[in-house]
Amino acid sequence: MSRTRSLMAQLRHARGENAPLVPTMPLPRVEAPPARVYVPARETTSTTAAAAAKHTTALLGIGHVGTRYATDVVLQFQAELAVAHSAVAAELPDEWAAQHGFLPLQSQATSHREFLLRPDLGRRLHPDSLARLRKDAQRGPQNGANERTLGAGPDVQLILADGLSAIACMGSGEQLFAATKAACAARGLSVGTPVCAKFARVWLQDEIGAEVGAKVAIILLGERPGLGTGDGLSAYAVYGPKIGNTDGERNMMSNLHARGIAPEEAAPRLAALAAAMIAQGVSGVKLDLTGIGAGGREYRAPQVRERLVVRDA
Amino acid sequence: MLEPILPNVLAVKRIPHASADVLRAYGADPSKHTSLGLITCDQDDSLYVALDEATKQSDVDVVFGQSFYAGASHASGRLSGEVLGVLAGADPQIIEDGLTATLRCLAHDACFYDADGKGTVTVFPHVISAVGRYLAADLGVAVGEPIAYLVAPPLEFVVALDAALKAADVRSLKIITPPTPTNFACAYLTGVNAGDLAACEAAATAFAAAVVDVALQPTR
Repeated sequence: MSRTRSLMAQLRHARGENAPLVPTMPLPRVEAPPARVYVPARETTSTTAAAAAKHTTALLGIGHVGTRYATDVVLQFQAELAVAHSAVAAELPDEWAAQHGFLPLQSQATSHREFLLRPDLGRRLHPDSLARLRKDAQRGPQNGANERTLGAGPDVQLILADGLSAIACMGSGEQLFAATKAACAARGLSVGTPVCAKFARVWLQDEIGAEVGAKVAIILLGERPGLGTGDGLSAYAVYGPKIGNTDGERNMMSNLHARGIAPEEAAPRLAALAAAMIAQGVSGVKLDLTGIGAGGREYRAPQVRERLVVRDA
Repeated sequence: MLEPILPNVLAVKRIPHASADVLRAYGADPSKHTSLGLITCDQDDSLYVALDEATKQSDVDVVFGQSFYAGASHASGRLSGEVLGVLAGADPQIIEDGLTATLRCLAHDACFYDADGKGTVTVFPHVISAVGRYLAADLGVAVGEPIAYLVAPPLEFVVALDAALKAADVRSLKIITPPTPTNFACAYLTGVNAGDLAACEAAATAFAAAVVDVALQPTR
């Protein structure tokens, strides 16, 4: 009962008012706490899950404590999420491309936030970058006003870009770029001027490739970070790059990082892909991948999940 | 006489993820508040007491509480009543807990009382046994102190406040004389000795009794 209401009821009574008051609403019942108490010991019930967990970095066979995850699992998850968050938040420094021998380009996104919120701006070159590309990059002969015949330029235009993880771009990007360039050269393919694009999405390869008149454009860019993987690169290759190509016309390789496909392993496969595209004159779903023989289909040992949190014994 | 006049809650809405400009406009801090809870009611002082109660039961902050001019009888709309309260918190569950506490207090505790048996003179002689963060900050007392929250129409208030201060060992924290948005007058009292709940109760009882006396014999 409310303290003030009982005081007023007493005062009312003292003044001779004895007519009963309207009864107040009953208080809602408070639920009793659950009787079952969980013991904080790890329970693992599925041996199948535990066995499957040996072959993947997916969160399998992690057990449970009562209805919840064990503390170390939760901490590991949070640490891995933090790795992914900081990778997305990282920005490629403006001077990085020039310092590492690339022709610096930038998409139409003018800030990192805008880049994240406006994928459409990340797919087109900034006018200043377009002018720089036309002036400084190796390009095929002109065919009409700034139109280039397919294949009039280099066989392969390699593009390094930040994508969704500038950390990956600055980490293994240069190494993968150099290895891919060497692998293409080893197959006798000419490679265009090294360019590095900031605030870039995958489809930027179409505009750059079309501008230089390359047969194949390959963009190597930081991929969308996942749990514990902020340093992964993806490679997207397209034959006959032109604005308006769809993802059906692209081939891609993902998980290009030390724990996935290492740069030295990825480079020959990318070069083989480019050679097959040029030989067949198509890319994407129409590309016949049989007989490319660049490896990658044999057994590969599973990735090992990096322990960011160590559990006390 | 002295029957409770129960407050009517007119609207309760939640904004789980409010935009920063709205948060700032209503006094919240976008760096620590995400969600808002909005409530309108036809008794402003009852809602202030209920919002204060919410700060005791939940991590909510009361960022906005304003009475509307001329009170509930002249509201701008069916859902406006005479007061808008805004709760702000870090997540929707905090808001939910705060609103639950607010509604519970409005249903079971804070209310005006009929001082003349006709509902034409009303009095709010409320005792808060332990004040919450909202009113404590406003009044400059420690959280947990007992206070008497006393409201009456202008003339009745002068007589009743005088009676309340003489009835017990209390001191005033704040006195708000008319005209106010609703044209009621208001005083907040606490015990001269810290934690003196009995003094606050005696003052509130004397206040209510004095308002009743004026209402029954206004010209003599």
